[in-house]
Amino acid sequence: MKLRKCLKHAFEMVVHSKLRSWLTILGIVIGVASVIAIMSIGSGMQESMNDQLGGLGGDILTLSAGFSRSSRMFGGGGPPGEGSSSSQATDEDDEPVLDKTDVQALRAIPDIEAIDTQISGTVDVSYLGKKGSVKLTGVDQKSWSRITTSEIKEGRMLDSADQNVVVIGEKLAESFFDKPVGLNQMITIEENVFRVVGILDDDGNGIYMPIQMAYQVLDDKENGVYDSIVIKIKNEDELEQVMNKTEEKLMLVRHVTEKTKDFSLSSSKLMEATRSEMMSSMSNFLVAIAAVSLIVGAVGIANTMFTSVLEKTKEIGIMKAIGARNKDILSIFLLNAGLIGLVGGFIGIILGIVMSALLPALMGETGMLRGGTFVAVNSIALALSASVLIGIVSGVVPAYQASKLKPVDALRYE
Amino acid sequence: MKQNSTLLHLENVWKIYKMGEVEVPALRGVTVNIKKGDFVVIIGASGSGKSTMMNLIGCLDMPSKGTIILKNQDISKLSESDLATLRGSTIGFIFQQYNLIPSISAFENVMLPLEFLEVDEKKAIERTKKILDIVGLSDKSHHLPTQLSGGQQQRVSIARSLVGNPEIILADEPTGALDSVTGRQILDMLHKLWKEEGKTIIMVTHDLKLAKYAHTRIELQDGKILSINQKSEVG
Repeated sequence: MKLRKCLKHAFEMVVHSKLRSWLTILGIVIGVASVIAIMSIGSGMQESMNDQLGGLGGDILTLSAGFSRSSRMFGGGGPPGEGSSSSQATDEDDEPVLDKTDVQALRAIPDIEAIDTQISGTVDVSYLGKKGSVKLTGVDQKSWSRITTSEIKEGRMLDSADQNVVVIGEKLAESFFDKPVGLNQMITIEENVFRVVGILDDDGNGIYMPIQMAYQVLDDKENGVYDSIVIKIKNEDELEQVMNKTEEKLMLVRHVTEKTKDFSLSSSKLMEATRSEMMSSMSNFLVAIAAVSLIVGAVGIANTMFTSVLEKTKEIGIMKAIGARNKDILSIFLLNAGLIGLVGGFIGIILGIVMSALLPALMGETGMLRGGTFVAVNSIALALSASVLIGIVSGVVPAYQASKLKPVDALRYE
Repeated sequence: MKQNSTLLHLENVWKIYKMGEVEVPALRGVTVNIKKGDFVVIIGASGSGKSTMMNLIGCLDMPSKGTIILKNQDISKLSESDLATLRGSTIGFIFQQYNLIPSISAFENVMLPLEFLEVDEKKAIERTKKILDIVGLSDKSHHLPTQLSGGQQQRVSIARSLVGNPEIILADEPTGALDSVTGRQILDMLHKLWKEEGKTIIMVTHDLKLAKYAHTRIELQDGKILSINQKSEVG
């Protein structure tokens, strides 16, 4: 029998046992939809993470006072140059701080190209009577423009002669106040007036100003003490060696050992790699859980096929009596199982896409899903081929059993 | 009807069923020769071995011992695929309970053997239409078997047996489930096929009255041939 005809008979088998077929298909639909949705969450998280970390540059190190691996790993998600929430520089004697000594030590390392000292805090800002709170970062204007990965959209970066000027984020310029803030407009920060000389090409509402001005605006910051130091190294390929060298140097000048270390040196590149590895493991774990439902679906198909073979034993006998070969029967039943897998996979993909679109809303757009979910074409292809394959594999034994039925026994079956 | 060479030959055929430890012989050393163009009726009481013999003649089962030669081929030496093709192209089955596929239309049921023989679709459709016309069911061709009467279903079954233009029509109690009038119509149809189309008809029945239609009468008893009688004049 020609393949097209086998397919036609297989399709008729699906159509004529509607309820059982649809229940079996439902098993596959649930499995495929779960796999698609979970894979899309994984991809979405990955994309979101790449967006957040991708622009950091692999040659950037961030030095903070205090030692906490976990805070380096997940905290301070913002890029260097925008300050770090985990810095512990205070004016209390027992708290570790970053100061000029550290900067001098860093300057002595030949592998370092530039150093940007930073402080940050939240400030009240007003423009044309409209007020709000935003994050202010004081930067070393001589090196900031060389280190930051942010691009300027309008105007210019800070330069060494600047005093009462700021560079602001695009969002702050365009939509934070009632009216957009343009270049050379004056904004009030904590009762001091500053002129906007540059608008960044980003989605932030941060304010950047020379660090000396920031000490005046941020009352709680002690002059000469930094929240963080952002370091740009000369050769990205030597990142780990430079990190080790820098740590050794800092431990020396700060009189600490590995055990008493009071600073953290982190690399966005290493952080990204670690996070990526963790995300990948988590995604794989979730997909494995979803795959269990696909296996349950496969068992459902096998069960349906066995039932179908039993139900159609007499028909198999009739077909054999009128000339069907074993391979014809095998093809019809295998295609039947494959069709169940295909239809289940197709509907599962649609449901999976719908689920992945709804999930961020249902989960309240948590940090991990901030970037939304992302259904990759290869995950669709994978799910569809897996569901057809599962259908066919589940149908192999029942189909083989059907094809091997002796016509005389099959015809006698009631 | 003119009879030609031997079409089917059974030589010392035994069929033994195993019931646990016990062996039950259903056929015991049957030897029979069926010529092309013959109308054979196999009669016998219940348990005489009629159905077993029909299954063996129809290549639906294999003998425990002995040889079956169909169209000069020893069926026990054929592969499953070759045997299926030989069965599909040489033998048309008519069953007592019609044995139509319930989920497909009368037309599709009739065309099914041609699909297994991989006949060109256009030719298959033409042939199916023609055969349905011959059995008088052109207007019912798109009905499902359940939408047809018993007589109509048996005519669909006859059409299906004829569509591949087989040399042998093997009918197992073809009138067993029909009323006498419809049964007679079916038998007339078989007789006509024998007379006008030259088909070899092999009919299995327990009804002695049907024997009058046949040219050769084989009587079975306890798995053995009791007698083989042929009419002196054909028809």
